Amino acid sequence: MVNGYVAASLAEALQIRKEQDVVPYGGGTDLMIEAPENVSYLFLHKVPEMRQIVEDADYIRIGGSCTFTEVLASPLVPQLMKEAVSRIAAPAIRNIGTMAGNIGNGSAKADSVLIEFVADAKLVLSSADGQRIVDITDFYKGRKQLDLHKDELITEILLPKTGLDNYSYKKVGARNALAISRVSFAGIIQMDGDVIRHIAVAFGAVEGTVVRRRELEKLLEGKTIAEAKELKEQFVNSYEEAICPIRGRVSADYRKKVCMKLLNRFLEEKGI
Amino acid sequence: MGNITFTLNHKEVEYTGKATDRLLDVLRDTYHLTGVKCGCKEGECGACSVLMDGELVNSCMVAMGRCEGSSIVTIEGFKGTKRFEVIDHAYAQVSAVQCGYCIPGMVLATEALLSKVPHPTDADIREGLSGNLCRCTGYNAIVRAIKIAAKEGEGLW
Repeated sequence: MVNGYVAASLAEALQIRKEQDVVPYGGGTDLMIEAPENVSYLFLHKVPEMRQIVEDADYIRIGGSCTFTEVLASPLVPQLMKEAVSRIAAPAIRNIGTMAGNIGNGSAKADSVLIEFVADAKLVLSSADGQRIVDITDFYKGRKQLDLHKDELITEILLPKTGLDNYSYKKVGARNALAISRVSFAGIIQMDGDVIRHIAVAFGAVEGTVVRRRELEKLLEGKTIAEAKELKEQFVNSYEEAICPIRGRVSADYRKKVCMKLLNRFLEEKGI
Repeated sequence: MGNITFTLNHKEVEYTGKATDRLLDVLRDTYHLTGVKCGCKEGECGACSVLMDGELVNSCMVAMGRCEGSSIVTIEGFKGTKRFEVIDHAYAQVSAVQCGYCIPGMVLATEALLSKVPHPTDADIREGLSGNLCRCTGYNAIVRAIKIAAKEGEGLW
């Protein structure tokens, strides 16, 4: 095959990745827009280890080559992830676009990546020499800058099995289908009776990477709903200061306003 | 490294070009299947839709290496089927075709939808067609056509 390798197993894929200068090819729905001529692709759709969705004690493990359609069909995948994935493009793209591809493209607008950020997902990065597991929040160093070595593949996404049920999700786009997010938001909250045990919020399509500020979230943790209400203004203001939107198809000012609205709506929905 | 082998409209073929070539271009230029239309080349319009292993995909977004071992069906390959006949008849009944440029993609999107949901609601239909743009009809006639096809083709899907 000229300019390409089709791997039939993970071991074969990792060997090719180590020895050749290849671009990992998930579904191709981002790569084929640019379609550079002088590259070699490593096709991963026939790697069985990357095509399964399984669970272990702590995580739902989604293979990097799973398509969005497969994710939507899986009884194991949490509803929050399904909601975001169902808003990606349209059926023909969801049928072939992959989870690892959405990550590897490096965009802060990637709809599934927003959920991985808010959920504290981890990535399994494999090479012929071994494997490492990194937090998705550490994996993104900046726009299109990923902590992925030249010989590695994103082989699995690990989503926590619990704690994602009480959520709020919103994608703001210019149309229903085939929309690139202008701003996207996901928030989750875990309660112990009246006490907030954990809260997480993430904003997509705003800065060079998905925005997640763990240090700001902690303000509300361990607080009752009544105490959280008292701290709400301080909490919202801290995000107002922290978020520095980039200007793109829409203005930075618009993005900031939408972010604040979505954050406020999330807090209101959860009684804060 | 061998050639790229895949099934095209139910016949096995071997492609000798590059793995990075675009399926859309190869279908039109190498295999002369010009029912596959080029609209946007960025996955926005659905005019180049084909079935890959029974699933709807945009052929503009598929590199040839991804086709290795797969089955591709274009409108030309779908044309001889009973299902096509039913869809064709349904589209004609309600004048769901105007300029026709989007129609090969629309017909394959219809087939993909009915294969998964044989009795679709309006919402199912609009979701199923959400990646296929039509600038003439305003979609309502196409939605009606699909409802007719589902009824008249009862048992085919």
